[in-house]
Amino acid sequence: MTSVLASVKGPEIDWAAFSPLLGLFGGALIVLMVGLSSPRVIRAHGVPALTIAAFGATIGLLIWEWNEQVSLIQDALILDRLTILITLLVCVAGIASTLLAWREQAAREIAHGEFFSLLLIAAGGMVVLAASRNLVTTFVGLELLSLPLYILCASRLRSERSLESGLKYLIVGSVGSATLLYGFAMLYGATGETDYAGILTQVVKEGLMGDALFLAAIGMTIVGLAFKASLAPFHQWTPDVYEGAPTPVTAFMSVATKAAALGVIVRLFFTALLPGVDDWRPAWIAIAVISILVGNVGALGQRSLKRMLAFSSIAQAGYLLVGVVVVTELGAEAVVLYLVVYLLANLAAFAVITVRERETGSDAIGSLRGLGARSPILAGAMTLAMLSLAGIPATAGFIGKFRLIEAAADGGYTWLGIVIVVGSMISLAYYLPVVAAMWRPDTEPGVDPATGRAVLAGGAQEAEAERGGWEATLVAAVMGAAILVFGIVPQPLFELVGDVLKGFGTG
Amino acid sequence: MNINWFLIVSALMFALGAIGVLVRRNPLVVLLCLELMLNAGNLALLGFSRMWGDGDGQIFAIVVMVVAACEVAIGLGIVVALYRRRLPIDVDELRELAG
Amino acid sequence: MLSTYAPAIVFVVLGTIIGIAFTVLNGVLGTSRPSPAKLDPYESGMASEIKQGFRFGISFYLVAMLFLLFDIEVLFLYPIAVQLRAFGTFALVETIVFIGLLTVALIYVWRRGALTWK
Repeated sequence: MTSVLASVKGPEIDWAAFSPLLGLFGGALIVLMVGLSSPRVIRAHGVPALTIAAFGATIGLLIWEWNEQVSLIQDALILDRLTILITLLVCVAGIASTLLAWREQAAREIAHGEFFSLLLIAAGGMVVLAASRNLVTTFVGLELLSLPLYILCASRLRSERSLESGLKYLIVGSVGSATLLYGFAMLYGATGETDYAGILTQVVKEGLMGDALFLAAIGMTIVGLAFKASLAPFHQWTPDVYEGAPTPVTAFMSVATKAAALGVIVRLFFTALLPGVDDWRPAWIAIAVISILVGNVGALGQRSLKRMLAFSSIAQAGYLLVGVVVVTELGAEAVVLYLVVYLLANLAAFAVITVRERETGSDAIGSLRGLGARSPILAGAMTLAMLSLAGIPATAGFIGKFRLIEAAADGGYTWLGIVIVVGSMISLAYYLPVVAAMWRPDTEPGVDPATGRAVLAGGAQEAEAERGGWEATLVAAVMGAAILVFGIVPQPLFELVGDVLKGFGTG
Repeated sequence: MNINWFLIVSALMFALGAIGVLVRRNPLVVLLCLELMLNAGNLALLGFSRMWGDGDGQIFAIVVMVVAACEVAIGLGIVVALYRRRLPIDVDELRELAG
Repeated sequence: MLSTYAPAIVFVVLGTIIGIAFTVLNGVLGTSRPSPAKLDPYESGMASEIKQGFRFGISFYLVAMLFLLFDIEVLFLYPIAVQLRAFGTFALVETIVFIGLLTVALIYVWRRGALTWK
């Protein structure tokens, strides 16, 4: 064996550092094959269980590699603290979405094996994206995350809305990819390099900071990434896609895609394009401010919870960008911290929406009416999620926003911190009605028969839990508890994201 | 041959593709226009690769071609699924596994 | 530099002018007397049997998509085939893994019944 390996002239691969990726992609293959087995119970329950096992194994491998900083495959990928944290977020989102999708109609319709292996492949793509240090791997990672998500959005083959949302996402997403690719092509043209480190040296050496080709490359790269991260003014697809896609997929998309996109933005703009900071900073600041305004104003008056959360996610992405534009280590820490907080709140909210959608067939805000009396766990989780997204003290969201504003002030952009505060104040106007709808006593008779109010009598809760699935309730409860715990004792969160830039430039 | 010609043609292709995506309504034509945009990127990559005299751009272009094919296949799949939904006879048997 | 291309430019310009001139003159000077026979797709021979609304079956698209996917993967094999000696064993092993993955995909497609023509 050793003699064979000795003659190998390929790139050095640190398999241990590479193992989290192998866990995800290997898991996808196994899940796909197990999905072919004929007993229905294996397909319906074994496949999601295996998916969770694959995500769990990946998390285990991450913990094993926690303090490593290695560059992989000739610096095409890198395993550093940022990669590990983003991978962790993606895996947690993956486990939660798998639990939400356990009884999902969509998984039955396109076959369980396909649904869950696509979820794993998308997660793998996100890891590649967050870890990439080369334009080619960045593009491959981006497509590896996008292509499965297009299919997952369209996975409710019997629902025209789902299919249309998939097609819409495909078209808009591909425009984003093509724009990004053109930007990358120009970046390669300007520097003659495809790896970030090479681009950095070349830009500094040739003094390309004001070069027309370099500027055009930065512009198109920003536009492409903004399409992917659903930042305004490139966000128009978001509400329609979020609404049409199956809810577990929306949950995964809203959380994990954002984490991966922010990861790549931090890595690309903090390393390769850092010398051009004066060129790209105004563009990102403009996008951040527009996103905060458009997201928060757009969410007002939405009647569908999923559409409301779509607009809210645009605004949240705007907040996250504030941590990027200050270009400090504190900013990067704030971004990852906020990603954690955002993940908890969004997954809790989508878990509740999943349950209610199965019970009432609708995701309207009205479908939550009277939930507080019937299912305090769900209503409590949703309340915490909404308050956390709005940034109310004693929830994790407050800690996240506080850190972002601190980073903004520290980086000399106090006015961006004020924009965040103003945005949060607007956001109360659409988060609080959701809370009010849940806890208001349910006295108006016959207003909304879809909410199933007739089953208020004893035993109704068990019946509803059966239909909604205990898995989704579990996700909501865990995420809700985490929001509260981290809101009161934020120290573990600070320790988690501390030295996020550790090993950032390991060559 | 001057690199500028490659860039002009590729910029034109990109613009044509982008306009096509915006104005055309037929999903198949939109998919074609997306291909045009991606291939504009490819042409630019190949032109630059020739200019720098290394293979990086060519490898990138090969990867992009595969990605573009996957994108079109998924797009076609969704279009076919949409079309199939509108048909009175629904080919359900294909979806659920036999057995 | 431009003079090198002069013949080509003259050719293109002349071709365009003549083409446009003939089309326009034909419309202006000619007469138009349509008859059913003239409007047939084929003026002589059998009338076409194919109806306009003809659509290909679903299976056709399915197979076409699968062909597209498996066909395009060959792209990755060309550079390796050309440079296999230079890349050595590693590339060979990698290629085998790649083909193995494609085989898994093929098995999946086959077991799902996408290859049976309906």
